[in-house]
Amino acid sequence: MEYTRRSVLTALGLGAFAAATGCSASPSGDGQAAADGPAEGEITLLTPIFEGSTGKQLLEGKLLPAFKQKNPNVTVKVDYTTYAALNEKLTTGLAGGLMPDVVMLGVGWIPPFAHKKVLAPLPDSLATRFDYEDRVLEPSRYDGKLYALPLVLDTRIVTYRKDMFAEAGIKQPPKDWAELRAMAKELARTDGSGKLTRVGFDPFSIDLRQCWETFLFANDGNLFDESGQQVKFNDERGVEALQLFLDVIKDKSGDYSFKSAAGQPSTLAQGRSAMMMANNSLWVQLKEQNPELLAEDKVGAFILANKVPAMLQGGTLVARSASTKHAAAAQALVEFMGTPETILPTAAQRGSVPGVQDLRTSDYVKNNGFVKLALDNMNKARSEGGTPAWMEIREKIKTTLETAVVGQRTAQQAIDELANLSKQAISRL
Amino acid sequence: MAVISPPARVRDAAPGPATTPPPGRLLRSRRRAGLLMVAPALLHALIWIGIPLVAAVVLSFTSYDVLTPPRFAGLDNFRDLLGDDVFRRAVLNTSVYTFFTVPVAMAIALLIALMLNAKLAGRAIFRTAIFIPQVTATIAVALVWLWIYDPRSGLANAILSFLGLDGPNWLSSTSWAMPAVIVVGIWQGIGLKMLIYLAALQSLPTELYEAAAVDGASKVRQFISLTLPLLKPATFFVFVTSVIGAFQSFDQVYILTDGGPANSTTMMTYEIYKSAFREFRMGYACAQSLVLFALLLVLTLVNRRITGGDRASR
Repeated sequence: MEYTRRSVLTALGLGAFAAATGCSASPSGDGQAAADGPAEGEITLLTPIFEGSTGKQLLEGKLLPAFKQKNPNVTVKVDYTTYAALNEKLTTGLAGGLMPDVVMLGVGWIPPFAHKKVLAPLPDSLATRFDYEDRVLEPSRYDGKLYALPLVLDTRIVTYRKDMFAEAGIKQPPKDWAELRAMAKELARTDGSGKLTRVGFDPFSIDLRQCWETFLFANDGNLFDESGQQVKFNDERGVEALQLFLDVIKDKSGDYSFKSAAGQPSTLAQGRSAMMMANNSLWVQLKEQNPELLAEDKVGAFILANKVPAMLQGGTLVARSASTKHAAAAQALVEFMGTPETILPTAAQRGSVPGVQDLRTSDYVKNNGFVKLALDNMNKARSEGGTPAWMEIREKIKTTLETAVVGQRTAQQAIDELANLSKQAISRL
Repeated sequence: MAVISPPARVRDAAPGPATTPPPGRLLRSRRRAGLLMVAPALLHALIWIGIPLVAAVVLSFTSYDVLTPPRFAGLDNFRDLLGDDVFRRAVLNTSVYTFFTVPVAMAIALLIALMLNAKLAGRAIFRTAIFIPQVTATIAVALVWLWIYDPRSGLANAILSFLGLDGPNWLSSTSWAMPAVIVVGIWQGIGLKMLIYLAALQSLPTELYEAAAVDGASKVRQFISLTLPLLKPATFFVFVTSVIGAFQSFDQVYILTDGGPANSTTMMTYEIYKSAFREFRMGYACAQSLVLFALLLVLTLVNRRITGGDRASR
């Protein structure tokens, strides 16, 4: 095909036009559409939880019919995804002008989306509608406004094998990192050839980012300042948090390759670790896969502590899109998803923590040791995020810290690099 | 000899000799017909490839996070690219991956094609078996290989253990993760290459081989002096498509390693995906895509120059 100047210019013009028109639509559309008025219309709900047939059955078989009873003129269409694919869904939805009306997001996601006016603020009265646990609503706020309601929480705690502790004569969980490191050394086991068969401490079976954050908080450190514009983790507290992982590996009481593979029982359940960083949902996994460990009281958990005790609080929040055409209906669904009647079965299905104090007395909480521990320590919970540049920064954390864990860099170098990348991300806001 | 004209009444009654339209009109008519026939494909290419390509070029000069309209950013994205160590690492990883998967897969594919070109019993079954990985979803393939590479219960280490060797933690090791991904790439890419080579082998003129045999050339000699040169067009095609395919590898990394450990297996396409869909830096992702495009263009042109392209078939 012959390329004339005219045809090339035409193509360029078309492309530029497509780029401009395709991208020019502001996702805030009508701005902060009021949620007054009757709740009616068809709305979409994007959820990264309620996975699998049990999740779908709970959402569409129980929760949404209950919502429909209260809001008969609202129809909800559900779009399922996973946390791994949630970003893509949101990106393509935004780019295509098909932002869902109600969206479930992770902790830390509110500032970036609220900053860009993708989410609509909620009435502050919703914050006092129920008796929320301490700090539960902090990740839902940005710039003083409430943008989301907590649905379920997921905390990071340290789990341990009581039988292995007893065998080693250890009576109490470690009170600080020095004790943690010493106990890990004592609890590690090797075979005749010196190969590790059991690590004393496995911090790597959960996401490295969240693990390091838990250690940072336990070292009384912070990710960012209150404004979210300054990096705070690059002082000695952040470096020490990462250095501990390297020390555990150096001691041969931990190994980066020992982490649990997806879909397999945890190293704790397999007896390949004496202590393991875990999500509270491990309880449900143990109940399904290794019930004898719970029945025989062989598993315990504690809150990580060094300078302070700290627990990373993640979870799923539910928010309303700023560009929804059915603001009242979307808000009604958000409010419904934030009720104890919705929170409890959702938490129970996933082994997550319900963030409403009234639910502490539920059978679910009473019978779940990890959830009970988390609730008893909610005042020590800290959340990740806190800056509008979080979506970019969170992607850099694991890959940057990993370079230190695998020995390519020192902890200081890795933290400095991460701080650099974070500052660049913040400067682009 | 004198020309005898037909009588006047015959001239008037009988039709004259057929006249063909002038050459220019015929050419234009054929050209129109050709354009009409390729129009649907051209339209498809324009809408789904052309416009997005130009849009990507335009967006690469903007700061675009999808959440808000794009802002002109000049060369900022390209400047950031120059200082992006991870992207540089991705370029290196992609090059290493391509360097190993393409020639190895091509060699194995050619070998298999040569074997299947012989009149073997059941060669249709072998052909199908070798082609199946090509048509299997890469995600499914990667999931199975994830289990194969499991350090405790995977097949790879079980075989090594049987041989008295201690298998590594394939996907958690910075030394072994890339070779592990390369093996998957080779394994999955053999099928289509084999098929192309087989088709090319079956179209080679047999009389040349007969003549060579008469002249006393051995099989090896025939392969080197006849088969390889005659396969040049097919080799060029396989090489170019394989390189482009290798540079665009994504699924294996996405499933097997997530680009790790410590960026040891991240590829250009994976970094583009992360920039666009995880970090909400669509403008930067477009700039990265342009780099990928430029690299592929250079490689294609260089290869065409070296191999002579498909001129041998003309």
